[in-house]
Amino acid sequence: MFNLLLVGLNHRTAKVDVRQRASFKAEQLPQQLQRLSACPGIREAIIVSTCNRVEILTRVDSQGEASGTVEGFLSEFSGIDLPQLQAALYRYEDEQAVRHLFRVACSLDSMILGEPQILGQLKSCYGTAVDTQTVGSFLNALLQSAFRIAKRVRTETSIGEYPVSVSSAAVELVSKIFGDLQKKSILIVGAGKMGEAAVNHLAAIGAKAFYVTNRSPEAARDLAGKFNGIAVPFSELNSWIGRVDIVITSTAATDMLINRSMVEAVMHERKGAPIAFIDISVPRNIDPGIGKIDNVFCYDIDDLGAVVEANQHERLQAASAAEKIIEQEVQTFCQKAKSTEVGPVVQQVQGHIEEICKSELERYLRKTGAMEPKKIQDLETMITRIAGKIAHPLVVQLRNEHRSQNESAAYMDLIKRTFKPKDAE
Amino acid sequence: MGWTLTVTIALYGLGLLHSIFGFCRKRDVFVRLALGMVGSGFAFHTLALVVLSVQRRHFPITNLPESLCFFAWCISLIFMIANLRYKINVLGAFVLPLVSLLTILSQWIWEDNQGIPAPLNSAWVHFHVTVAFLAYASFFLTFVSGIMYLIQEKELKNKNFRFLYFRLPSLQVCDELLRRSLFVGFFFMSLTIISGAIWAQQAWGSFWSWDPKEIASLISWCIYLFLVYYRLSTNWRGRRASYISIIGFISILSTFGVNWGLHKYL
Repeated sequence: MFNLLLVGLNHRTAKVDVRQRASFKAEQLPQQLQRLSACPGIREAIIVSTCNRVEILTRVDSQGEASGTVEGFLSEFSGIDLPQLQAALYRYEDEQAVRHLFRVACSLDSMILGEPQILGQLKSCYGTAVDTQTVGSFLNALLQSAFRIAKRVRTETSIGEYPVSVSSAAVELVSKIFGDLQKKSILIVGAGKMGEAAVNHLAAIGAKAFYVTNRSPEAARDLAGKFNGIAVPFSELNSWIGRVDIVITSTAATDMLINRSMVEAVMHERKGAPIAFIDISVPRNIDPGIGKIDNVFCYDIDDLGAVVEANQHERLQAASAAEKIIEQEVQTFCQKAKSTEVGPVVQQVQGHIEEICKSELERYLRKTGAMEPKKIQDLETMITRIAGKIAHPLVVQLRNEHRSQNESAAYMDLIKRTFKPKDAE
Repeated sequence: MGWTLTVTIALYGLGLLHSIFGFCRKRDVFVRLALGMVGSGFAFHTLALVVLSVQRRHFPITNLPESLCFFAWCISLIFMIANLRYKINVLGAFVLPLVSLLTILSQWIWEDNQGIPAPLNSAWVHFHVTVAFLAYASFFLTFVSGIMYLIQEKELKNKNFRFLYFRLPSLQVCDELLRRSLFVGFFFMSLTIISGAIWAQQAWGSFWSWDPKEIASLISWCIYLFLVYYRLSTNWRGRRASYISIIGFISILSTFGVNWGLHKYL
């Protein structure tokens, strides 16, 4: 219908090694885009490449022929055998391609549902294609719609609001206690990977006061160095708990480092200022019983898992709202694209009929001799109106919303061929 | 009942619906719309009060319907200030039901102007009643923040990561709102009692006459004094403060309800 073709692979259809080989580096994109658009039958092209997906979006002369061209192009670029590559590829045309692109832009097709990076990646790939001049008016309009819809989905649904990794869930949880975390101080006990990831998230939202302690002072100093934190002696753990707002433990220790009596004593000194404990270690390093003390909040890895699960649930609900928006937008876009497509065909039909009538009129005039100019003018107006009235039912048929894509395309094709301009025959 | 108040009620009602929808669906767009509606409702409310004052030649707080209407105006004012300051999206869903209810109720029991009762005819009446209602409105906010704190704390302690956990503000924000509204309310309440005493001295010749409403206000004031004292001295917060804010508000409600003796007018 709009000669739109999307060929691609993503994390669901291709293993990581295939994705890696097929992915385009940013600096390769301009050259490859030029190479692709130079292929016969390719009118416009955009290549979207991220670590989880490669999508080649093209506007072509004929989808059947072009899909072979695009697959061949990708196989040649990646060095993957065509059959092996084809097994990983999906192929969408017209409305399906529009829908797929919109879903990608709204992060509904992402590995982590609702993750925000994809839109930026899409924009930069589009920018490269614009700079390389492989984008025409159709893909331009399509991509602009995709960006607008992605924004709409972000504002109208809460798809991006719920963090779904364990360490970001930990951050979300403590911000439900402390609100703004920028001025909060954080004590990290141990130098485990998960603890480090949580600290990364905290640093990203502006937390600054980090204290690190470990049974090995060197390890504490190393980790503290990464975040401009301060290494504190492990023997002073007790007094440091009294001074900070958030304690994160991530150690390999098998014993309880922090127990109830310790925290009770500390809470007295703190005058009830709230404190959060996040225990990411397995086995646990913090006695979960401390959560019963007033103003003490204690979470272990399973609790964080529960937050992640709850967040995923919320995201899924948001996603179904997003799907509805997308479906509506796909229909709007396709209707609009169809009507811009219909325009020239209607003109062609109308012009064809007018031409027939005019030549008949000329023949008549030649036979009967001169006529009043006023009368000739009237006859010409009549011809235009007849042409319009004959063409009208065709337009109605072409704009019929209820017909399937294939039917519309066949119908359009039939009309185009029937009313082909004479010299083209 | 004037058309301005009808418009006010309609706007508050719409604001309430949008707040609740925004709260349930977690859609900020609706919350912003709600704020706009309540803001315009407040403008009409103010206009209505001004028109009423001019018509009746007194500040419209001298009988029950008038004062309910004015109380709603005070809560609406405090709500908007709190929203501008803290941007708590869910606040509307908690506060607006009372605002709408009070405005509707005041129209329901609307009375025609009976003129100002002679003993109330003093400049003090305006000041005394205004600060009293501002105090009530602030304490209502203290109460709401206490409730929000308790619910959110329960969700966090019980590890219920569900509907309310996602929607209610953080404990810190609830606590901060509780603290601010408590101090503001306490300030106005103190002014109420002081101005009442001075006025009583002028009208009846004694500062304090153990009238039921005076006693009830004193009890409420003491409850809040207790909370303010502990807040300032030992930084009492969180759950205990929330409980006291609830007790305090119940006491405020009974203060509001006790209308006999010297306070038989209101």
